[in-house]
Amino acid sequence: MHLRTKHMSDQVAEAGAFSRGHLRLLVTTGPEDLLHGLQRYDLWSRIGFMEIKRRYRRTVIGPFWGTISLAIFIAVMSTVGIGLWKQTLGEYMPFLASGMMVWLLISTMINESCTLFVNSQHLFSRMRMDYSILAFALVWRNLIGFLHNLAVYLLIAIVVLPALINLSLLWIIPGLFLISLNGVWVALLLGMTCVRFRDVQQLIITLLQISLFITPVFWPPDLLTGITALVFVKFNPLYSFIDVVRAPLLGKTPMLSSYAMIALITLVGWIATLRLFSRFRKRIAFWV
Amino acid sequence: MATILVENVDLDYPIYGMQRSLRRAFFQNAAGGFINKKDPHHRHVTVSALTQVSFQLTDGDRLGLIGHNGAGKSSLLKVLAGVYHPTRGKVWVDGKITSLFELALGVDADDTGYETVVTAGMLLGMTQAEIESKIPEIERFSELGEYLSLPVRTYSMGMTTRLGFSLATVLEPEILLIDEGIGAGDARFTERASKRLHELARQSAIMVLASHTDDLIRQICNKAALLTSGRIIKIGPVDEILSEYHSEKARLEAQPAAE
Repeated sequence: MHLRTKHMSDQVAEAGAFSRGHLRLLVTTGPEDLLHGLQRYDLWSRIGFMEIKRRYRRTVIGPFWGTISLAIFIAVMSTVGIGLWKQTLGEYMPFLASGMMVWLLISTMINESCTLFVNSQHLFSRMRMDYSILAFALVWRNLIGFLHNLAVYLLIAIVVLPALINLSLLWIIPGLFLISLNGVWVALLLGMTCVRFRDVQQLIITLLQISLFITPVFWPPDLLTGITALVFVKFNPLYSFIDVVRAPLLGKTPMLSSYAMIALITLVGWIATLRLFSRFRKRIAFWV
Repeated sequence: MATILVENVDLDYPIYGMQRSLRRAFFQNAAGGFINKKDPHHRHVTVSALTQVSFQLTDGDRLGLIGHNGAGKSSLLKVLAGVYHPTRGKVWVDGKITSLFELALGVDADDTGYETVVTAGMLLGMTQAEIESKIPEIERFSELGEYLSLPVRTYSMGMTTRLGFSLATVLEPEILLIDEGIGAGDARFTERASKRLHELARQSAIMVLASHTDDLIRQICNKAALLTSGRIIKIGPVDEILSEYHSEKARLEAQPAAE
């Protein structure tokens, strides 16, 4: 035993001359983090699902409370909107309901992104972790939340305009995929930014509140003309993301320009995030 | 063969959002590492938690980290775990690393014992099927019985420890990193826990344990490292290092707060 210890301390002394052939460097790069994180779908889907499960706990209807408040909002807002923009109930209510659902999905993801790392410190300060797992879990959890609201939407559609329930609804799937694909980079980017600069979260909350009103969620996009239409509809990235899910829900095809806009945002967003995430990943543990 | 090779590792913590006055207060109270301000290019105050740490561990090594509070034991463990990335220097490893830094599993206090164990096991790298196959063993070891179906928030401190420790015992780590705080729990459980810790130490190829408990280090470790202000002052046989630590401690206590 004693001999062994001595032997070991000799080895310590020789550490410098040690061959490193079979050793791996204890460093995770950004792309490795994302790849390994994605492969742990069992883990991030569980983390996401448990989050939803906690909302059900000790309540009778759990996350449906969010859905109920959405339903009440839509009922009240519809009566106002129909008067304001001279719409029919069958036209306006599904428009508002679908728009609000997608808006809630997107804005909740953005809001929660700001606290991605701040709230999960207890996890990654105890063990090595692929941070991307947290981002995937966030997106997954919000998709499950969206499905709750979708149930309400289908109910509204059946009551006011049954013709909306048809196979073109399936086009929401690529739309949701695009939102998720972008949700992951937004989560990582905002998560990093907000954990380093704590003011950013307040800024994002403010911007989101304003965005709800300047994006065609309540009001029909074709009401605007000229330059305002360009700014708030055509070149409004939030509108593109809403369009690719809302249009199929309303039995329409999303605009090609929406897909083009999303393709551009996906590309730019992922490139920027990959660069920043690769560079600053190792500092996240210190920023928290 | 499991290996850890640490080469000239420095770890500087950046400290953010410090007010000037607070910064000054920090200087006067440098209990642990050094606080650097000298470098004008550094916009932030940093604390050197580790300085020029180098060592190598291979199969069979059980290293005990000894030192005062703030000497850098936990920082070193976190660097080995891959939680903190060293500011300078490199860490090379061969083997799967498992870190147990806190026995409160830290998932969510509203989850039941079962749920917590499964999520925590998966976080530590097991698959859901693997951890679920260990549930009977966890039930037996934790002796929590019906409590496992209740939220962790209803547990006492000792029960939380038991749950955490029972998870620790079903892991099959190659390189195991443990940070103290294993003492809690009633006397009978502590005895069983330390027995299991021995078994774990035997199973894992390498173990690094930070502790203030001499007996624990004596029982489990076959070598020790003395840390002071983020440096490894000495590394060698357990008894030698422990006596060095105590003589240094006695010396410090003999000359009170002169500075």
